[in-house]
Amino acid sequence: MHRRHLLATLGTAAAFPAIRRAGAQTLTRATLRLKWLAQTQFAGFYLALSRGYYREAGIDLTINPGGPNLLTENLVASGADTFGLSGGTDSVFAAREKNLPIVCVGVAHQQTPFVFVTRANGPIRALTDFRGRTVTTWFTGANYVLLGMLAQAGLRQGDFTMQPQQVSVTPFVDGQIDVVTATRYNEFYTLMTRMGRENLRTFVPEDFGVTFPRDTVITSEQTARDKPELVQGFLRASMRGWREALRDPKAGVDAVMAVAPTLNRPHQEFMLEEAGKLMVAGQAAQQGLFWIDRDAVKSAHDFLLRYEVIKQPVDLAAAYDRRFLDAIPVADRVA
Amino acid sequence: MTAARARFTAPIRAGSRFLLGLLLAAAVWEGAVILLGIRPHILPRLSEVLSAIALTPGAYRDGFLRTLAETLIGFVAGAGIGVLNGVAFFRAPVLRDMLFPIFVVSQTIPVIAFGALVVLWFGNTLMAKAVIAFYLTFFPVTVNTLLGLNAVDPRQVALLRSFGASGRQVLLRLQLPMALPQIFVALRLAASLSLVGAIVGEWFGDTTGIGVLLLQAMYNENVVALWAAILCSALLGTGFYALVALAERRIVFWGAEQ
Amino acid sequence: MSRSAARGIAGGVLLLLIWEVLARGLSLPAYTLPAVSDILGAVWTHRVPLFSAGWLTAAEALAGYAIGCVAGIGIAVLLVLLPPLRGGLLPVMMAINSVPVAAYSPLVLLWFGIGVASKVVMVALAVGFTIFLSALAGFDRVDRRSADLMRSFGAGHLAILWRLRLPAAMPLIAAGMRVSTVRSLIVAIVTEMLGAYGGLGWIIYQAVVQIDFVQVWSAIVVASALSLSFFGLVGAVERRVIFWK
Repeated sequence: MHRRHLLATLGTAAAFPAIRRAGAQTLTRATLRLKWLAQTQFAGFYLALSRGYYREAGIDLTINPGGPNLLTENLVASGADTFGLSGGTDSVFAAREKNLPIVCVGVAHQQTPFVFVTRANGPIRALTDFRGRTVTTWFTGANYVLLGMLAQAGLRQGDFTMQPQQVSVTPFVDGQIDVVTATRYNEFYTLMTRMGRENLRTFVPEDFGVTFPRDTVITSEQTARDKPELVQGFLRASMRGWREALRDPKAGVDAVMAVAPTLNRPHQEFMLEEAGKLMVAGQAAQQGLFWIDRDAVKSAHDFLLRYEVIKQPVDLAAAYDRRFLDAIPVADRVA
Repeated sequence: MTAARARFTAPIRAGSRFLLGLLLAAAVWEGAVILLGIRPHILPRLSEVLSAIALTPGAYRDGFLRTLAETLIGFVAGAGIGVLNGVAFFRAPVLRDMLFPIFVVSQTIPVIAFGALVVLWFGNTLMAKAVIAFYLTFFPVTVNTLLGLNAVDPRQVALLRSFGASGRQVLLRLQLPMALPQIFVALRLAASLSLVGAIVGEWFGDTTGIGVLLLQAMYNENVVALWAAILCSALLGTGFYALVALAERRIVFWGAEQ
Repeated sequence: MSRSAARGIAGGVLLLLIWEVLARGLSLPAYTLPAVSDILGAVWTHRVPLFSAGWLTAAEALAGYAIGCVAGIGIAVLLVLLPPLRGGLLPVMMAINSVPVAAYSPLVLLWFGIGVASKVVMVALAVGFTIFLSALAGFDRVDRRSADLMRSFGAGHLAILWRLRLPAAMPLIAAGMRVSTVRSLIVAIVTEMLGAYGGLGWIIYQAVVQIDFVQVWSAIVVASALSLSFFGLVGAVERRVIFWK
């Protein structure tokens, strides 16, 4: 009796690894490299992961956060990561120009995610008032957006002082500078809590005809070519996660805070709401999440070409591949 | 008897003095912020920082343990290979002449510039961070080992030799012990450097660790969380440093006038 | 040329050869490892901006280094002369020192701004603590009997420090100063990468964003060359000054 029990236990134990191996075989291992640390800017991915949507799509996904000086395009091109949520259309252009074998298969933020902020009661009321003022901005693309906006007001580089923006908005809060750059979901929240929304005036790039879609979903040319079903499964599961995160923000914030518990919850709630607005803006309202708006991509491309940020035209059809999105029914894409 | 008692009470006295110093610093911190009205985003009150830690103790504990593991692995590897390097360079000047300059050059490279390379080569593993901690620690240990070995009085070596001691015996019995004070100076430095390596390593896309907490706080301008992470790092660093210093006192008990 | 210098050059050339052959032979993409010849070519093409950036970084590092050395030795002397101070101040110094300098960078940037001052402060912090620890260890290294002997002749704290402790500490302080040369430049560069108007760290940061890896490496080459010259310079001075070694 005893012995039989023991044998049965042994038998089960022996069978177990086999079962697990069989289960693992059906799953494809993949990683997603984010452009930054865990925060609700990426809530949909974390929610999809915690609810097992990637598993259901046959993907054993690991989410790797980003960090300073870590370029998502680089890691995806080199094969260190399968997918990436990278900087934006600007960084995809730069990567393609430098012959990095990556391709964009979706765009998360349909509009420019940052705005330029000044004091509501300050001397700057219109773009022409930027003359002689001090602006801090990121020298990673935002600087050209600003130059493009100010060019419409007849201002050129040199008519105002443009300085690189450090990690902090404190110099602006302290009144040392006149204009600061803020993402709608992050720095703007800090500015609001420290100065009050009513004391801030914003200059929105879209109001001046400049649009920079950002937060691009990328993968390597090889993955796109050899494993189209993986790319599609990833996009489908990510969309599921995002739709639910947008419908049920609490679940989205919870999924992120489970990974990064020290985050500030109100800030993360605000961030998810703002990120959600950016994701369903423009054509994405009809075409669904991650939609690649070819006109917006082209206008961003032409803009950067005009400012010689990219030296020669990029083959947009090759760099932005909409096949994987098109294969998913519109009803499943719309948030 | 009195010597024995002194040896027993000295660490306790030093320890209590240390605690007193810290308590004093804590009181000065809290008091200064309140009395001078320092704005919280420049320097928050200590009590505020501590309550932030108490709010999510799990996150700070996990981060602490993870960084501790990386630091320890990197330190042990760096110290071991550093001493071996030092001995090898001492015994084989050809090796020293050829490799030392390269080592020096390697130390002039800021690792943070090559975050992507680190991920490429070592992935997102605990090992990747330990490797960076190692990379920062092995060099000072190598330098000081070599310096300590070179400083040994050749007459003493000649004396031991005349008694028929082998090169290995001279190394183990005379040269390495004589070099220990120098080596320990480097080890104390390495204790801090290995922590730097672990933390900077965590900046290359990781989910747990003090480095991650620091980065998150820094870019969210969450000054309270920033100080909370700094405190964790101070605790880890001080504890580790104290351990190395204690080991030093136990092992290198000669020569020092305190 | 001395034999050791010849060997050093041989070692370096060998490494560069292996590197070049590896990069060219396996035709590694630039984001993995660019060829040495490409990097050196880029250094030459961009020599003007690289030189001015290197100049700025070197100035920051040197200023911070000088401040750090003076402060480090000064505080160590102070603690040796005033033993009661040592008990109170040492633990605080230890706690501050055990936090990696990188962790202070956001605070230093916040307090001292994005300009040159924040870099100088960061370098001074990093160098200062290293020198302080070396100096303190060196001062403590003095043989107890020698100190007692001098005291029995009526020598005060200051005389013992000057005649006995300082000479004894010199090798350790010098070693700390040599190690710190390299650290000073790295800290300056890392701080620049987090926020600056210029310098090698700024160039590296920009190059990573623009996916120009050859440029990253070329800035690193300049940084290494600077560190090495600084290291060599301090080493040479050390050999002159510590003649009794």
